[in-house]
Amino acid sequence: MTNGIKFTRRTLLQGAGTALAAGPITGFPAVHAAEPVTLRYLGTAVNQSGDIARKVKEDLGITIEYIPVVTDEVTKRAVTQPNSFDLIDTEFFSLKKIVPSGNILGMDARRIKNADKITPIFTKGEIAGKAIGDQGTAPKKVFYLEGQTGKSFASSPTEWITLIPTTYNADTLGIRPDLIKRPITSWRELLNPEFKGRASILNIPSIGIMDAAMVVEATGDYTYGDKGNMTKAEIDRTIKLLIEAKRAGQFRAFWQDFNESVNLMASGETVIQSMWSPAVTKVRTQGVACTYQPLKEGYRAWATGFGLPKTLTGRKLDAAYDFVNWFLSGWAGAYLNRQGYYSAVPETAKTQMEPYEWAYWMEGKPAEKDIHGPDGGLLEKAGATRDGGSFEARMGAVACWNAVMDENTYMVRKWNEFIAA
Amino acid sequence: MSDRPRGLAFTALAAFFALYVLFLYGPTLTILALSFQGPQGGLTFPMNGVSTHWFGKLWAGGGIVDIWAAFGRSLRLSFVVMVLTVVLAFFAGLAFRKGFRGANALFAIAVASLIVPSIVVSLGIGLEFRLVDDAINALAAATGWGWLQDHGTAMGLYSSALGAHLTWTLPFGLLIMFAVFNRFDPAYEEAARDLGATGAQTLRHVVVPILAPALVGVALFGFTLSFDELARTSQAIGGRNSLPLELQGLTTTVTTPEIYALGSLTTAVSALVIGTALAASLLLQRRRARRSLAGA
Amino acid sequence: MSDVALPALADAPAKTEQTETPARPRRRLPYLQAAPMALVFVVFLAIPLLLTLMVSFWEYNEYEIIPAFTLQNYRDVFEGCGNLADPCTTVRTYLSTLKFCALTLAFTLMVGFPVAYFLAFHVRSRAVQMALFLLCTIPFWTSNVIRMISWIPLLGRNGLVNDTLRSLGVIERPIEGLLYSDFSVTLAFVHLYTVFMIVPIFNSMARIDRSLIEAAYDAGATGWQTLWSVVVPLCKPGIAIGTIFVLTLVMGDFVTVGVMGGQQIASVGKVIQVQMSYLQFPAAAANAVVLLAAVLMMILGLTRVIDLRKEL
Repeated sequence: MTNGIKFTRRTLLQGAGTALAAGPITGFPAVHAAEPVTLRYLGTAVNQSGDIARKVKEDLGITIEYIPVVTDEVTKRAVTQPNSFDLIDTEFFSLKKIVPSGNILGMDARRIKNADKITPIFTKGEIAGKAIGDQGTAPKKVFYLEGQTGKSFASSPTEWITLIPTTYNADTLGIRPDLIKRPITSWRELLNPEFKGRASILNIPSIGIMDAAMVVEATGDYTYGDKGNMTKAEIDRTIKLLIEAKRAGQFRAFWQDFNESVNLMASGETVIQSMWSPAVTKVRTQGVACTYQPLKEGYRAWATGFGLPKTLTGRKLDAAYDFVNWFLSGWAGAYLNRQGYYSAVPETAKTQMEPYEWAYWMEGKPAEKDIHGPDGGLLEKAGATRDGGSFEARMGAVACWNAVMDENTYMVRKWNEFIAA
Repeated sequence: MSDRPRGLAFTALAAFFALYVLFLYGPTLTILALSFQGPQGGLTFPMNGVSTHWFGKLWAGGGIVDIWAAFGRSLRLSFVVMVLTVVLAFFAGLAFRKGFRGANALFAIAVASLIVPSIVVSLGIGLEFRLVDDAINALAAATGWGWLQDHGTAMGLYSSALGAHLTWTLPFGLLIMFAVFNRFDPAYEEAARDLGATGAQTLRHVVVPILAPALVGVALFGFTLSFDELARTSQAIGGRNSLPLELQGLTTTVTTPEIYALGSLTTAVSALVIGTALAASLLLQRRRARRSLAGA
Repeated sequence: MSDVALPALADAPAKTEQTETPARPRRRLPYLQAAPMALVFVVFLAIPLLLTLMVSFWEYNEYEIIPAFTLQNYRDVFEGCGNLADPCTTVRTYLSTLKFCALTLAFTLMVGFPVAYFLAFHVRSRAVQMALFLLCTIPFWTSNVIRMISWIPLLGRNGLVNDTLRSLGVIERPIEGLLYSDFSVTLAFVHLYTVFMIVPIFNSMARIDRSLIEAAYDAGATGWQTLWSVVVPLCKPGIAIGTIFVLTLVMGDFVTVGVMGGQQIASVGKVIQVQMSYLQFPAAAANAVVLLAAVLMMILGLTRVIDLRKEL
């Protein structure tokens, strides 16, 4: 068995060598076209796009079969049904659950062509040489494994990578400027009674509580040791604040998925809520004013990445590596960047984007021309600038990362108490 | 009652019924309207122009994921559930007629299957398969058998999900069979037996044809309940999603009026299917009525 | 031959004393015929429920369940429930769920009874009855996930209902309570579950001997008197069965309350689902056992009021 894997790896490395010579994008081993391979791709629908699947089919001959599920379900399936997928696209914070279960395989960094070009946000926790906030489950803490089948994380770089980043971004408050009519600069506004009955928070316990923690810190009431890893007392304090706000009627609704967050804002049910950047874009394409509001306390960041189930072997394993390599090679990165997400290897994505697009999305410059989404729809007119500025400005202002706390069980219980209050 | 003139009560009740139907169709009509949303429109009002853009997109299958594949999976699963429901409920119904020891216990568990909250059933089945998987993995680790090493889960559309659906459809099927057999005149069977038919022959040529409309009803019920089942499936699904779960998963990203188009389409198709089934069973009935008239 | 395909809790168990030829194979036949269904229920209902009970006493961590006996899961469920002034999460959740049970029950009955009455007594042809029933099932073929989303454009702040009322000049400011409130949750429940009330009541009504009603009229009873003292008592089994359906469905729901309540209203099902998705199977199992006990107690209570076994 082990010998078999080594053998394939060697052949593939040779293949990759030839590929490098052949060209940057289409030069992958074309063996898959002859004997079709299907990869079952488990993840949230965020990164699952028909366009990407079509392009992969064209370039590599690999068929991608998407299995879209909700965020928490991804983790659950990874732990309980490890052979129900061939490739997982999950958030880095869920690694704290998945890795100890032993269900994913460390990715061989030597088989990932652009491994050394992955943005240092993941490998070192810094951007342009500047360290960024690392509270919570920052990717750098869970990026490497001790060994291929290791169940613990390595503190220094190894050749075994847990997840190869697909997309990441920083979340903040989304607001309706037309209905709020004044500048918003702090997370504390989320619980400002001025917006009573028109605010919303995310009902995914592990993420929602971090938004609440941002609010608590913004009010100056309390400073957490680590917002992403609270003590029981800190959880109590945070939930208490949420319960008070809820009883006072602060929240219109909670949202749980992308679509709910868009609907709440677009239909005017809420005017201020924590939001994902592309959701803000989506609201705007419906002709509704909506701002992704940078705040002085910084962002709560998240990142997702590809992992391999430990049951994957043979041609499917090769195909998975080919797909991941293709994903990092630029086309997909550009595609994601145009949606408002960020890609793992910015420099390859850049080669697939027009200079004006790059300037708008990544450098925070005013758009020279109209900005179109991947589907051709108009996103912004010429002259607009992106909320939150450049890539460095956004990701540089990250305060914390989505996390799984040590007191997760307790936190979930308290969260249920909040919902019931 | 039937020979009394239709009076005020009839009008009032008919109006009430009409209102109820309107209420029932409220969301359906909203979906229908919004599925003609313009290309720039969202999931909510206002309408951003009127177009068949989303139907086109749905038809082209260019959406985020392969919705037709999920549709196909759900269709196949519901079909299997339907067939099993009809067959199992029919034979169980026959068994109950004849009586057997444990009949009361089986009846009790069938009723229990209806009243145990779906989430509990789902959790139980999920747990059951998880424990089976754990056991298989432990066995694999202990024995080192190669063919067992890659075992991930026994959960799947046609194992755990199928079972979950059956716990929901079978009790309904059984209850319908009870109602039907109650009104079934054993004289037909006796006549057949007197004429020398074997049990199997009686079943095939007498009982089944007479019960055909009811069996169509069981099938329809089983299919409808299974096709839209979410709660019982939620924790008991394997790698591939059924349509309702797929749709739920889709809500994690940009959702377009395409799903409304899908909703309108399924409603239209189901109306067609139900209409056909109704017509078929009416036809069967009429033909039988004519035959029995001719016989008399 | 009647052929209206409706679920009816008929008196089948009473039929068990059927005369049958005592030949040996014939005796064995019913067992063979009932076996497949029994097997399905054992594998997918009885065993799962027993496992749920067993696992509710197990320990767990973030990624696995550990077979060791503990009462901690139940302690967590009932933590702080001694305090009546500030009820604990579980009590609060159950109170909220019970409230929806009562509301849904009241409204499904109020809607379901007249509709069933109309179908049973005023629609004369069986074919039309069937067609009307099918008319009521068509909306259920559109996935509930889609139907849920569509309530927002209908009931929202800027939704169809509010817009219509505003343009008619009935209201000046949109009614906020239409969506994400107790009202919207109840509305969605009534929308989903009235059918489960109509069908059993209709079935009871269909079995009422029409001559009884004629007799009541002949004895000089008014329409209302007949309804109240003849029809309603005879419909009790149907009402009881419908009640059981509605109670069970509402008690175990987690999707409707979530979406229509704007995720702000707790339900027992939701708690279980959250715990499941965080891999806390034993905690979820403990909650499920408590839920099951609550539901069974309610149904036992119902059977005290109405002797179901006798009525069936």
